[in-house]
Amino acid sequence: MSESVMPKPGPTEQAPGKPRSLAGDAWHDLRRSKIFWLAAVLIAVILLMAAWPSLFTSADPRDCVLARQHRGPSGAAIFGYDFQGCDVYAKTVYGARYSIVVGVFATLIAGLIGAVFGLAAGFFGGWLDAILSRFIDVMLGIPLLLGAIVLAKRLSADPQSNGVLAVTVTLGLLGWTTAARVLRSSVVAAKNQDYVAAARMLGAGNNRLLFRHILPNSMASYIVVLTILLGINIASEATLSFLGIGLKGNAISWGIAISEATGYVRVAAGPLIWPALFLAATVLAFIMLGDAVRDAFDPKLR
Amino acid sequence: MRGNGPWKMAAGVAAIALLAAGCSGGSSDDDETLPNTISIGIVEPESLIPSNSTEANGSSVLASLFYPLVRFDEQSNPYTVAAEAITHDKANKVWTIRLRSGFTFSNGEPVTVDNYINAWNYGAFGPNAQVASYFFSRIDGYAQMQSVDPDGTGPEKAPEPKATTLTGLRKLNNLTFTVTLSTGFAGWESVMGYDAFYPLPKAAFKSEGVLADNFGDAPIGNGPFKLKGTWQHDSKIVVEKVADFKGTVPKVDGITWKIYQDLGAQYADLVAGNLDVETKIPIESLASASGDLGQRLQKSPSSAFSFVGFPIYEKEYANKDVRRALSMAINREEMTDQIFLGSETPATSFVSPVVAGYRKNSCGQNCEYNPTLAKQIYTAANGPTDIKISYNSDGGHKAWVDAMCNQIKASLGVNCTGSPEPKLADLLKKVRDHKSVGMIRLAWTMDYPLMENYLGPLYTTDGSSNFYGYTNTAFDSLVREGSEAATPQAAIKKWQQAEDILADEMPVLPLRFGQNVYGFSAKVTNVSMDLFQKVDIYKIEVAN
Amino acid sequence: MFRYIVRRLLQMVLTFFGATFVVYALMFAAQDDPIQALVGERPITPSQRTALTERFHLDDNFFAQYWYYMKGLLTGDFGTSLTNRKIADMLADAWPVTLRLSLLAIVIAATIAILAGVVSGIRRGSIFDNATLAITLVVLAMPIVVLAPLAQLVFGIKLGWFPVTAGQDAGLWQLLLPATVLASLVVATELRVTRASVAENLRADYVRTAKAKGLTRARVIGVHVLRNSLIPVITLIGVDLGALMSGAIVTEKVFNIPGVGFNLFRGIRTEDGPLVVGFVSVLVIVFLVVNLIVDLLYAVLDPRIRYE
Repeated sequence: MSESVMPKPGPTEQAPGKPRSLAGDAWHDLRRSKIFWLAAVLIAVILLMAAWPSLFTSADPRDCVLARQHRGPSGAAIFGYDFQGCDVYAKTVYGARYSIVVGVFATLIAGLIGAVFGLAAGFFGGWLDAILSRFIDVMLGIPLLLGAIVLAKRLSADPQSNGVLAVTVTLGLLGWTTAARVLRSSVVAAKNQDYVAAARMLGAGNNRLLFRHILPNSMASYIVVLTILLGINIASEATLSFLGIGLKGNAISWGIAISEATGYVRVAAGPLIWPALFLAATVLAFIMLGDAVRDAFDPKLR
Repeated sequence: MRGNGPWKMAAGVAAIALLAAGCSGGSSDDDETLPNTISIGIVEPESLIPSNSTEANGSSVLASLFYPLVRFDEQSNPYTVAAEAITHDKANKVWTIRLRSGFTFSNGEPVTVDNYINAWNYGAFGPNAQVASYFFSRIDGYAQMQSVDPDGTGPEKAPEPKATTLTGLRKLNNLTFTVTLSTGFAGWESVMGYDAFYPLPKAAFKSEGVLADNFGDAPIGNGPFKLKGTWQHDSKIVVEKVADFKGTVPKVDGITWKIYQDLGAQYADLVAGNLDVETKIPIESLASASGDLGQRLQKSPSSAFSFVGFPIYEKEYANKDVRRALSMAINREEMTDQIFLGSETPATSFVSPVVAGYRKNSCGQNCEYNPTLAKQIYTAANGPTDIKISYNSDGGHKAWVDAMCNQIKASLGVNCTGSPEPKLADLLKKVRDHKSVGMIRLAWTMDYPLMENYLGPLYTTDGSSNFYGYTNTAFDSLVREGSEAATPQAAIKKWQQAEDILADEMPVLPLRFGQNVYGFSAKVTNVSMDLFQKVDIYKIEVAN
Repeated sequence: MFRYIVRRLLQMVLTFFGATFVVYALMFAAQDDPIQALVGERPITPSQRTALTERFHLDDNFFAQYWYYMKGLLTGDFGTSLTNRKIADMLADAWPVTLRLSLLAIVIAATIAILAGVVSGIRRGSIFDNATLAITLVVLAMPIVVLAPLAQLVFGIKLGWFPVTAGQDAGLWQLLLPATVLASLVVATELRVTRASVAENLRADYVRTAKAKGLTRARVIGVHVLRNSLIPVITLIGVDLGALMSGAIVTEKVFNIPGVGFNLFRGIRTEDGPLVVGFVSVLVIVFLVVNLIVDLLYAVLDPRIRYE
């Protein structure tokens, strides 16, 4: 495909700029955003929990006694006990680590691949877009389960590995397509805007057009898709773990805890609700962060 | 197109989508509820060709379409049904079967000896790859009908088998034939109660030894019901009464076997009154089932036996004291109560309670929960500090494996993890390759109600399901001697001696015996289930 | 425009064959022991193994196996599943109900997402906006394995408003509840993207211009803002439509709908190569067609985007 307006190669030197860079502008704005600080504090707490869970609880999440099955909240276990008689609070705190690692890094991998594919296909168009877009179509058709089985076999052949790397890479490599398609659509729309044509006529090069003009104007949807993908990735980890191709051994994560509790939700809802709440809070923090960052980078707000 | 273009477009797209969604839909009210018919829930059967069916769903449907040679009474003893009489020689080697006269297939063909012989030859012939083929392996001439690829997965083709028929089957007249076994076997009459031994009509075959293409979708049997239309895959199988059936006549006029992917969906339909019988209530629904169903929730014995196998080839588990200690470290009762909510019972023997010769607690002290003694023995035997229990993740085993691990951790003070594999095939492959898998979760349901059907496949050296490599020549010969014994009583005696060896050596860790936990709607009564997880279609009836 | 469509259709043919190759290769890599997987927990005799291996060419190398498959496909034969069913029949059984279910779900999701997304985009920070955010989070954190049986229990069994299960030839009415559950899977992303897109476009220069021209607020939003905001949303809806077709495994299970997701899942679990390749190939065609339509819609929504 070739869009009517093909980007012309032009002089690449930077036009004499403003005193601050785009990132500098953004940081200036971010510092004054309440939402940003709220998100930052929330994320800091979650990261602390992931790094040093013992700061938050002294209970052992793997100390499970069937006799305590579904016992309600008490002084010893403020969220009560689950089906296996494990402390729900301790499990939720200790579950943060793998959930965050898998969720954040899988989303980063997906975001990076999605950005490369989306920007390249949308901005350059033509045969490059045709190849990249058809590749995306094929990727979209491949079921997650099939891709995961194949990847997990290659990535976690080592019986000693805990499966975190395999799960993260699997979800990252299979989850970027939506972000790529959405970014491509925004880029296609943005590059036909008047200000882009104006900048091009003023002699802006491809790099400058792409990163200074088009990307900041196309990020909104892309960031939203990624923040939601974070939540989906945290939950998907559990699906893979349950199928025997995810985390190995007696790994603890929010996704696994939620999945384990679903069968008994009519008997005891607590073991389901608490990890789900932590997951929701994490996604909320990143949604707020995404909102704040996007606002900060939005040139229209200047 | 300017103005409100996008809105018009969105409306248009929505309209097209709804139109596409609407067309060809809505034809679902053909679930006519005739007065005297019932519906029973199943999962998509693997096959409706008798010799190719080894699971309960296909078996249930086949039981309505076919009439077996023998059925089993309450004590699991066989009695003749389609056969008039079954007799045998002193050595239990030559069996003579006389058929009842006057029976026909639902297409009108009379049932003769040839129908049995042709069906069995088809099932036994190796290249037909029938999953129930091994049932014929005791019959003389079975080995000549098999062929094995000389180079495994290599490019070379396997040679044709030497024979296409079982030499052990001999027709005496239209209604009598003999079966000669390669070695005597007292329990042969029971074996012939299985699906693989149903007869096939001439119409089933395209040419000699070749099944007609569509027979699997529209099987024709000699039973009380016949198929209405064909098997509607993933949806339903409808059967209706055969007019003037010569055998026992069922009380209902038709059965719709409704196919479900999931027991939970089946349960929802049962509670909502869209389904009459669910043969297996899912564990998640058990807590609410007695409230939902009341007296319509029932239990009956089944032949299922769950256990954990020890990889004898791993040196950590080679010491029998380690195996004994692990068995004493777990609390079977707590597991069946808390995890299975009483739907299964603790197992302390190596054969199911449903077979003659079963002794309660034949495992003795080794299967009693005794954490203190367990720890003593385990420490003395220097057992491994890291225990792994491998299981297949597609069978709902995680909950009890985790619980078992927690018990082992608490009793022995060692580390224990459950290790899921996507499916049993993946797990078995690792076991075959002697990879380190730790303990292996396994289960067995019987093919015919004899102790031998547990002892043989599970624990003899060449047993078909002895994946963990247990071998003991004294045990093997006791099982064989039992099989060749002159009377069932003598056989049981030998088999019990064999079981005592298991109790001492603990090649596996017995865990639970299964039960049929089933429910039915207010529309039906007299619902009962047999040891093979099948509803008794002759007893069930519609309540007035 | 016409030449562009023709070019895309030609690409589609190439992509289709590429996809079959990729999926066939993936299935080949995923296969361990399809024969044991086929018989489940039963032991398997050597001669049975031999016969099945030869019947399905399992001992041939990858390219030979793919060649057998392609030879069949080029003559319109999708092959036979390891369970001996014709895959063409299975496709014909599964696709209609899946199409109905996923189209219904996407209509529900898109309607809710666009309406609620526009409102919360216009009124950022309002109670309505925060309420949609909260619901988004709930839907994200509550897996569909909880939502689907819960909806079935409450609306199907307890209240009796909807049929409890749907089945293979379910109509729109039976599919309404499962479709609504399924819609919850995608509505969160679509809603948030609509909101973000609307919020961003509200700040654009042309809105200021339009307002300055004295156009009514309704017209500014309904025509200018919405039109420009819909491009990413429609892209997302296109992707979601395909995802709902293959990914409705849980919903199909709970409501007993033997559709594409269920068949794919079954095929992958039993290592049934031809079955999976058949279903995924059709799925890739769906994505190709839907994404072509979406790309064409860009030009309708934004006349500055032109294809030649």
